[in-house]
Amino acid sequence: MNDIIVAILRSGTPLIYVTMAGVVAQRAGIWNLGLEGLMIIGACTAIVGIVLTGSFALAMLIAIILCVLASVLLWFVIEKLKANPIIAGLGLTGLGLGGTSLAVQAIFGSQAAVTAPFGVPKLGPAFGPFGVLSIFVLAMPFAVFAMWVLLRRTRFGLRLAASGEHPFAARSVGANPSRMRLAALIIGGVLCAIGGAELAAGSLQIYAQNMTAGRGFMAFAAVIFGAAHPIGSAFAALFFSVVGALGIRAQLLFGDAVPHDLLLALPYIATVFGVWLSGKLRGGRKAATGFAELRDY
Amino acid sequence: MTGKFVSVLRGLIFIVIALALCGVIFQFAGYSALGMFHSVAEGAFFRPGAWQQSLRWALPLFITAAGVGISFRAGYFNIGAQGQFYLGAICAAFMAEWLNGAPAFVVIPACFAAGMTGGALWALWPGLLRLQSGTDEVITTLMGNFLAGLLLVYVTAGPLKDPSGSGQQASSRPLAAAYRISDSLGLSPTIIVIAALVAVAMWLLVNRTAFGVLASLAGRNPTMVQWQGATVWRLGLSSFLISGALAGLAGTIEFMGPNGRLAGGFLPTHGFTAILIALVANLSVVGTAFVSVFFGGLASAALYLPIMAGLPSAAIEIINAAIALFITAKSGFVDRLLAIGRRSA
Repeated sequence: MNDIIVAILRSGTPLIYVTMAGVVAQRAGIWNLGLEGLMIIGACTAIVGIVLTGSFALAMLIAIILCVLASVLLWFVIEKLKANPIIAGLGLTGLGLGGTSLAVQAIFGSQAAVTAPFGVPKLGPAFGPFGVLSIFVLAMPFAVFAMWVLLRRTRFGLRLAASGEHPFAARSVGANPSRMRLAALIIGGVLCAIGGAELAAGSLQIYAQNMTAGRGFMAFAAVIFGAAHPIGSAFAALFFSVVGALGIRAQLLFGDAVPHDLLLALPYIATVFGVWLSGKLRGGRKAATGFAELRDY
Repeated sequence: MTGKFVSVLRGLIFIVIALALCGVIFQFAGYSALGMFHSVAEGAFFRPGAWQQSLRWALPLFITAAGVGISFRAGYFNIGAQGQFYLGAICAAFMAEWLNGAPAFVVIPACFAAGMTGGALWALWPGLLRLQSGTDEVITTLMGNFLAGLLLVYVTAGPLKDPSGSGQQASSRPLAAAYRISDSLGLSPTIIVIAALVAVAMWLLVNRTAFGVLASLAGRNPTMVQWQGATVWRLGLSSFLISGALAGLAGTIEFMGPNGRLAGGFLPTHGFTAILIALVANLSVVGTAFVSVFFGGLASAALYLPIMAGLPSAAIEIINAAIALFITAKSGFVDRLLAIGRRSA
């Protein structure tokens, strides 16, 4: 049983950190489809940073700086250049995936996986069977709780939500929606750096090209599934990890009787169902959004 | 200066900004930016035989992008081209498997019908959810892409698996040579004719039919179109179906032409590139044709770079991504620059 919990926590923790990044952006009114790109930057920088500097803290610092810079670039393009957030986010994802491949090729001369001598500090034998987990796993529930406090119980969080839902109202109480979004994306950048670092350096200590494999998008799905509530979305992300871990286990136990790929499809089907249901419950049709702003007439 | 010209110029300015960002990234990663752009241009257009290769990639991209343009025009943000493309390829592959042994003049049209139907059906459910319950099509089509990707992995490792394949990557049994519509270089009269037919049909649809005009109006102002007596519902669903069918057609072409078989996760950036093409072309059909050649060139350069120039193909991914980052941008500064041009003109 313990090894299942360890497996779920290992795969769930990176996803939950990145989901929190998506939640804070969603609250501020930005659909962040750049999560995948930010996560791979975090993963790549953490491992490459450890290899090059020999220090975990230094590698983490560089990862956070790069993820925050990428997030600020996204903010600039969306807020200052009025770009479409969805297309710009997908662009940032591509930039992250391509940029990390290019950087690894430039530094190591090949696209092969990079192995670090050590990773994120572990909890240690004091935690018994869970000692193999990294400190980020232990910090994760506190991060989710802190996000809940920040978004639901502070003036900052309320202003952030107002900036997302009704920018005019936010402005009327003296908040600057554009600056609130910048803050949201910077917080998200830090969280994506941690999530990416945990993915690459949490247990395996290895970075491989495109190793995020859609986890950033899965985090986005968790944000939507959890209605951008920090705890709801964290549980959605956890649910996705449980399905993934069970899928692998089912394959080990029953072989091909349970098609693994179809089990992996469950989170996406659940997200579609959840979004459809929440629309039904809220009632009314969404007003047709003219994507007129995409074009110039 | 006409509005159209201004918007083309604005697009070009942002593409230059995007390329400058790429240059900074290349330089930062330790490559010579100028050398990189030179190799990309050479790989795309200036080496012998480059144009054939670029067209090979451009034609399927054009077909998908023309469909994406239709649904964007109608105001639906269908980003599910990748999934619809996969479903087209999968349905065509099942049809080919089912009819295996029948004469080519039966199998090939049947596969095309199956592919287009598959793509259209994969666009139908997000369309229905959107129009019936207002479920956001961005989420449903995005999830649809992942579902289609998993389905592709499943069928290539399961029902359609080639038992003789090596363990590296599961793929389907190769399509019999009699049913192929091109060799693996991927440029054949059949494909060119299909792309030309799509181009003419889409141009007529957008510019010369009530549907095209109303769909474009619906994208800008659905209320007005409703008051004029058009059914937004029907317009919307048709635009989803057309964009899905075209992406499915492109999937069928890739399966029956250059690839000749399905592999798990093949051409994973096709849909994203097609969306990019539609946006760069500002959703015009003629523009889409020209822009497709540019991005087709980049796609062929992605294969050329690592082999001939010893440079990583990720460079192309970065160029595409940087263009995506900036292409929908509107900047007061750029507009002021353009306004200066307008006064002097």
